[in-house]
Amino acid sequence: MQSELRDPRKTFGEALVEVGKKLPNVVALSADSSSGSGMSPFHKKFPERHFEFGIMEQGIVGISAGLATTGKIPFFVAIAPFVTSRPFEMFRNDLGYMRQNVKVVGRCAGMTYSDLGATHQSLEDVAIIRTIPGVTVVNPGCPIEIIKATHAIAEHVGPVYMKLGGPKMEVLFQEDYDFQLGKGVTMMDGSDVTIIGTGTVLQKAHSAARLLTKKGVSVRLINIHTIKPLDEELILKAARETKQIVTVEEHYLVGGLGSAIAELLALNCPTRMRMIGVDDQLASNGPYEALLGLYGLQPEQIAETVTTFIQ
Amino acid sequence: MYILPQKERLELECKALAARKNVLRMIKAGSSGHVGGALSIIDTITALYFKVMKVDPANPQWEGRDRFVLSAGHKCLAVYAVLAEMGFFEKEVLDTYGSLSSKIPGHPDMHKLPGIESNTGALGHGLSIGVGMALGLKVDGGDQKVFVAMGDGELAEGSNWEAAAAASHHQLDNLLVFVDRNRLQISGLTVEVMSYEPLYERWKAFGWEVQTINGHDMKAIVELATNAPAAPGKPTCIILDTVKAKGLSFAENRVDYHYWKANQDEMAQADKDLAEIEARLTCKVN
Repeated sequence: MQSELRDPRKTFGEALVEVGKKLPNVVALSADSSSGSGMSPFHKKFPERHFEFGIMEQGIVGISAGLATTGKIPFFVAIAPFVTSRPFEMFRNDLGYMRQNVKVVGRCAGMTYSDLGATHQSLEDVAIIRTIPGVTVVNPGCPIEIIKATHAIAEHVGPVYMKLGGPKMEVLFQEDYDFQLGKGVTMMDGSDVTIIGTGTVLQKAHSAARLLTKKGVSVRLINIHTIKPLDEELILKAARETKQIVTVEEHYLVGGLGSAIAELLALNCPTRMRMIGVDDQLASNGPYEALLGLYGLQPEQIAETVTTFIQ
Repeated sequence: MYILPQKERLELECKALAARKNVLRMIKAGSSGHVGGALSIIDTITALYFKVMKVDPANPQWEGRDRFVLSAGHKCLAVYAVLAEMGFFEKEVLDTYGSLSSKIPGHPDMHKLPGIESNTGALGHGLSIGVGMALGLKVDGGDQKVFVAMGDGELAEGSNWEAAAAASHHQLDNLLVFVDRNRLQISGLTVEVMSYEPLYERWKAFGWEVQTINGHDMKAIVELATNAPAAPGKPTCIILDTVKAKGLSFAENRVDYHYWKANQDEMAQADKDLAEIEARLTCKVN
């Protein structure tokens, strides 16, 4: 059964308009690609609150910090690598060190730009941004979560990085779902193994968990939409109770969700782990779903990895 | 058109001397620091805080205040010196320079010291931050101005030119940049290390209203800054021709004093140099 699919950027853009209606200090900044970033509805509704700067991501991060000092709540949205790895020092100093209330949204993150190759992919964004003290890192796993997260990060005071994929995403949660920054969500309960998914591939982890359940494996599925701060309590509980953990993410194995969880568990509750993601290579190019398959991120592959791991 | 009265000019020169004495006080506490650039920009910072900017030392976060961003954050001794003189904090803080977790680190921290508006030090950040401040204040209809001080060596950072373009594109005439052209950077003459001359033409080409003045002339600094913008709709760039380490006879225009590790003889000479300025100005400072 295929659930409803929605476009993440369109979903975000519509949510930003609602946020803009609620919070008059919210402004949007773009680097030439505002329509691709889903900001057309915001521009139409609040043209005087949308600032275009052209292709200058380093400058825009600093500018957004300056705007925030005057009480604005800037949302800077552009292609993920260009708002993270390119202006990293501006992110670190102007947003992190200065503790400015700026929301950076990296869209078409991960391998969305599958055929455009490694320059446009971002498999390290979580790894680098989560090193910055005080920055919240959010990776919504379904369109409903994108809407909820957009509202939540606007209301949260402090710098945030939120990443969005490009391809349509399955609706996994109800409209009345209670989203809280920093709180993971147990989507399926089980006792043999815990699968922890995030972002674009939460839906793949979800499908894999259902495949495994059909085969008689008791799977616990956890959605970690906020990678920093991490819901340590929920993860430690799962580690203690299921004793085996598999993480699933469209990100490098270095520094991402799996890495953050491994850091937590190594110090607090050493646990058998398997991390599914992209290993130490610049990813290849081609159709998106095929690329996910190349790195073992399709549901059947995840299920196979889990089956082998728990035996 | 504002004209600075002669009496006030002399008063400002005395304030600048007091600020230079504060710089020495910090160096005595911490034994070393980025003195060269601090002393080339300190007259401008003195002029801004004492005569040009709307600020309230008793209420550093006052919304109606003008903003000052020191893009070349290593020159922060000059800002600490002037803020102390203005009364933003007790002068005893100056004696903590170089000590563990001091409120006045080697680069400024807005969360540690009242009056600091941004955490600079990594070069090429301050102008972008200033552009954002100017934009935010302007769209809210405020009359506050934003002042950014940059080094001339710093201009090689490409991010500055992103911000320079953004400022003119968005017509930020409430933004003023001072380029401290002391012509020296760590490894030598700026024109030899990486030339961004002709500065006047480059800033002009980026859509700015540009003026070049003597960066130690209080009258020129105050009058230009107060009367800006000379061209409505354009940001203003004031190129300051300055002397690195201005006021210290043994260090002026010498690249070795970009970062000064003070020995006793030099410190004694520095005190003597400032005493001579004091005698010339016929003001009593501290």
